Amino acid sequence: MSVTRDDVLRIARLAELEVDEEGLPALVDQMSRILEYVAQLSAVPASEGTKPFLPPGPDAIRFRPDEVRPWPLAAGPETIAPAFKEGFFVVPKLEQFEE
Amino acid sequence: MSEAKAAADRLVKAKRLNALLTPPKELRKSLAAQAAAARPTGVLYGMPVAVKDNICTLEFTTTCGSKILEGYRSPYEATVITKLKAAGALIAGKTNCDEFAMGSSTEHSAYGRALHPLDKARVPGGSSGGSAALVAAGAVPAALGSETGGSVRQPASFCGVVGIKPTYGRVSRYGLVAFGSSLDQIGVFGRSVHDAARVLSVISGRDPRDATCEDRDPLRLPTVPESLQGFVIGLPREYFPADLDPAVRRACDRAVRLMKELGAAVREVSLPHTAYAVPTYYVIAPAEASSNLARYDGVRYGPRFNGAGDIRALYRATRGAGFGPEVRRRILVGTYVLSAGYYDAYYGRAQQMRALVAQDFRNAFDRGVDLLFTPTTPTPAFKAGEKVNDPVAMYLSDIFTVTANLAGLPALSLPIGRVKGLPIGGQFIGQAFLEDEMLEAAYALERAVPATEEA
Repeated sequence: MSVTRDDVLRIARLAELEVDEEGLPALVDQMSRILEYVAQLSAVPASEGTKPFLPPGPDAIRFRPDEVRPWPLAAGPETIAPAFKEGFFVVPKLEQFEE
Repeated sequence: MSEAKAAADRLVKAKRLNALLTPPKELRKSLAAQAAAARPTGVLYGMPVAVKDNICTLEFTTTCGSKILEGYRSPYEATVITKLKAAGALIAGKTNCDEFAMGSSTEHSAYGRALHPLDKARVPGGSSGGSAALVAAGAVPAALGSETGGSVRQPASFCGVVGIKPTYGRVSRYGLVAFGSSLDQIGVFGRSVHDAARVLSVISGRDPRDATCEDRDPLRLPTVPESLQGFVIGLPREYFPADLDPAVRRACDRAVRLMKELGAAVREVSLPHTAYAVPTYYVIAPAEASSNLARYDGVRYGPRFNGAGDIRALYRATRGAGFGPEVRRRILVGTYVLSAGYYDAYYGRAQQMRALVAQDFRNAFDRGVDLLFTPTTPTPAFKAGEKVNDPVAMYLSDIFTVTANLAGLPALSLPIGRVKGLPIGGQFIGQAFLEDEMLEAAYALERAVPATEEA
């Protein structure tokens, strides 16, 4: 399954990832090779009735009581945020809604 | 105090390997402070343990080998770090790795590649290459790494040290930066099976902060067995293909002969879905990565690469500039295989195949096999630059390791010989939560095998 330049640009938009024009042809080529490689999975016969894998780990999901507990951080968000003011993360506004 | 200084000196001396990301001055200062505060009764008292840079520490920055977390200092620490410190260990700096643990050579680090300690033209493996290189160079007795598809065992094999990936759920992942959450597990490097096992025992066990961590006591270390009498070791024929590197085959044959001499029963087994493990992994891991890495957007932490335009322009610019090429590829592949119209053909099929790979192992163990023995990697350490532009060739260096991650099983690599001076690793794959059996077999083989002799 190879992908086109437009496919890569569409996926990059979904992933909120800027892709530069310069690197685009190599990226299209590498993604095509990766997808062609993994496409061998669809050629495997008789996996129709197979149930999908459930990760090992806890026998049953354990829940903890739903209560507010302080799990103190060594430093507040203002020390790690790129822009923080009066208890809020500062971001540029959303210009327009995209589908 | 003087031991902290000696530990720092050894690490600084290994600087040419570019295996440690922590600057020397900061390392010396922190080690001295940690040594002064360490509990003398701890079972790892005074032991320096280097830590892969995708495990959160309060002492040092946590960058995951990425520009998108440059300078990031976590406001909390991983449970494994808390446990190590409680046992008296010293956190000996942060080690270089492939960006977000995505890679098999440590060439995909934003901070330059780490070098193989025996041949600087070669890679130490990856993604935990810095940790493996430091242990191999004798700079630390043990180090932490993480595994999603072989990122501890593969570099352990390349560098000639011991690497253990425990069962999924054995060790808390709280504070391990997430890549593929159904696969990720923290692992350990040591110069010997015992050094690695000792550290694993300390970091294992329950943690209320990680719902995927099993409610079990810490791993109890087995004693070194006199023989392998009673052990049934399976050799999966799919792991010994006709084109396997001849030296790797010779080293494995020798190890098998030694295990037989120690009393083990050895039989051939088949894991028929092995060939599909790598393509399965390279659907599931990128799918989970594309979701996990959505959090890096330049808003709450990490640098912001462009403040102009609207918020989506900010996301795209930060992610575009902050992520390196392999991470970008995986996010795109992951987004693609999860997108409408492709989900069933890729992700759905990969989840089914994962079940079949796991079933292969269950079938082998149900037929009375205790452990499997295989080569860890198809070749010894390759040259830097050899695979960096060919993602699929790079992915295939994980061919013998990804299966244990897909099935969630414990596995261990130990040195079993050399070819032209380069180490070769042999791998045990064990049954879920039976790390103790796997360690017993590894103790016995380690004592018998001439690990530094040509195979």
